[in-house]
Amino acid sequence: MVLEATMICIDNSEWMRNGDYAPSRFQAQADAVNLICGAKTQSNPENTVGVLTMAGKGVRVLVTPTSDLGKILACMHGLEIGGEMNLAAGIQVAQLALKHRQNKKQQQRIIVFAGSPVMHDKKALEMIGKKLKKNSVALDIVNFGEDDEGKTEKLEALLAAVNNNDTSHIVHVPAGPTALSDVLISTPIFTGDGEGGSGFAASAAAAAAGGVSGFEFGVDPNLDPELALALRVSMEEERARQEAAAKQAAEEASKEEKGGEEQDATMTERASEGASEADNKKIEIADDDDTSLQQALAMSMDEPTSSQGLQDTEMSDAAAEDPELALALQLSVQDSTKDSSSQADVSKLLADQSFVSSILASLPGVDPNDPSVKEVLASMQNQSEPQQKQDEDKAPKKEEEK
Amino acid sequence: MSAAESATAVQRSQVDLLDFIDWSGVECLNQSSSHSLSNALKQGYREDEGLNLESDADEQLLIYIPFTQVIKLHSVVVMGSEEEGPKTVKLFANREHMGFSNVSDFPPSDTAVLSSDNLKGKPVVLKYVKFQNVRSLTIFIEDNQSGSEITKIQKIALYGSTVETTDMKGLKKIEDH
Repeated sequence: MVLEATMICIDNSEWMRNGDYAPSRFQAQADAVNLICGAKTQSNPENTVGVLTMAGKGVRVLVTPTSDLGKILACMHGLEIGGEMNLAAGIQVAQLALKHRQNKKQQQRIIVFAGSPVMHDKKALEMIGKKLKKNSVALDIVNFGEDDEGKTEKLEALLAAVNNNDTSHIVHVPAGPTALSDVLISTPIFTGDGEGGSGFAASAAAAAAGGVSGFEFGVDPNLDPELALALRVSMEEERARQEAAAKQAAEEASKEEKGGEEQDATMTERASEGASEADNKKIEIADDDDTSLQQALAMSMDEPTSSQGLQDTEMSDAAAEDPELALALQLSVQDSTKDSSSQADVSKLLADQSFVSSILASLPGVDPNDPSVKEVLASMQNQSEPQQKQDEDKAPKKEEEK
Repeated sequence: MSAAESATAVQRSQVDLLDFIDWSGVECLNQSSSHSLSNALKQGYREDEGLNLESDADEQLLIYIPFTQVIKLHSVVVMGSEEEGPKTVKLFANREHMGFSNVSDFPPSDTAVLSSDNLKGKPVVLKYVKFQNVRSLTIFIEDNQSGSEITKIQKIALYGSTVETTDMKGLKKIEDH
């Protein structure tokens, strides 16, 4: 997250028409520039980036260092290819542009895309490098495109002259199937001076290379400790909540079984068969119950009695999560005169005689004329009060009948 | 005579301004990373003859020192070796963020050509009137004694006095009754 002002020097000379980098050298360069701008602004919102072209009629500054990404992207449009690259002039103009940056606290950095042959001799480049080092300007060189005699040597010499404590880098990108931007993502030009990936670079690298970023959640704890901590804490909370919800569901299921009553058993059976909509709904309701119950518990913080209003919200929550459930609820609301409550949902559903019998008919191996089933249905019809928990109610109800 | 005067002046009312340097804003352009400004400025390091501030790409150095409060600068001590110690030193008061390119844009508040006596520790008395209201000091070392590639400075000490300014840390919140 270094505060930095960057000037990007683009090579728009004739050599950029070549297609050895897909789709063309110039286009690959433009993509890389866009990525770099994004990465810089994301790693620190106060970073500024500027762009200039080195070829054409002469060195031309397209945009002075700004943090407005839109402006930078806009100026990349409609650039023309032509002329020869003037590396020395380009770097010097970039240095001048950085000198007049608005925020003097920013570190200065120049990124040069050297695609065409370098005309200047090594000495001249070394002088430029020394001047940059003296003014504490870092330099990143992207060596791609043409590789004529001595170009690599000259650029390496330039880097050696500028380099101060490894703040400057050079990257050689050979022509090939991988895009220029993808190659650059894994280099220190993107990841910034060995601090470790910014969130952008890490996630981009993960997306592009299909690998896993080195850091949990794609955020470097060194760069943003608060964010990393917040992410970790919320992840743990979510996990804990889900575990608790799962435990609740298991408890409820076991309670129902423990009740040992026919209806509970049948209901559990139906739940376990899961062949019908209602079964699925029931499980979903149970889950929704549990989560909304959790919420209710958290909110009320005492025994799990929920107020009517709460039950209403719980139902609407549950309904919102499951459209099928909503439909079923609507049906049950029409049929029953009771207040709606999530806990009463299931009982209402089951109290709806016609609905239940239709479900039963669709179940394999359940004969609606079976006396035990009829008994169950009869008992369920008798359930009329709103309940807090299904099992609690069923126990007294059952006893009443008996 | 003048040497005695300046010596007593240093003892009399002037203090070492080391305590008033705002270390968070101190910068030095063209310093070598292994021989940095702290070697010349900081207590203890500056007394050590083995620890020097050295220049990197060429022999010039540009040192920027902000202060925590407004001070009056009386004299400076610049110590170095006979050959590689600095020669021409230009001082600029209250100029922020200077670079090597604009050192010649405006005249310095004072210029000192260091003799071998100075390099051994004799203070250089400055034009006091020019340094009455100093918030920051820029020291530009133009060349060294022998014209070698690297300038080495063992110690830089600033002497002066403070102007009465409010110390914000001393302000205490009024207790509500």
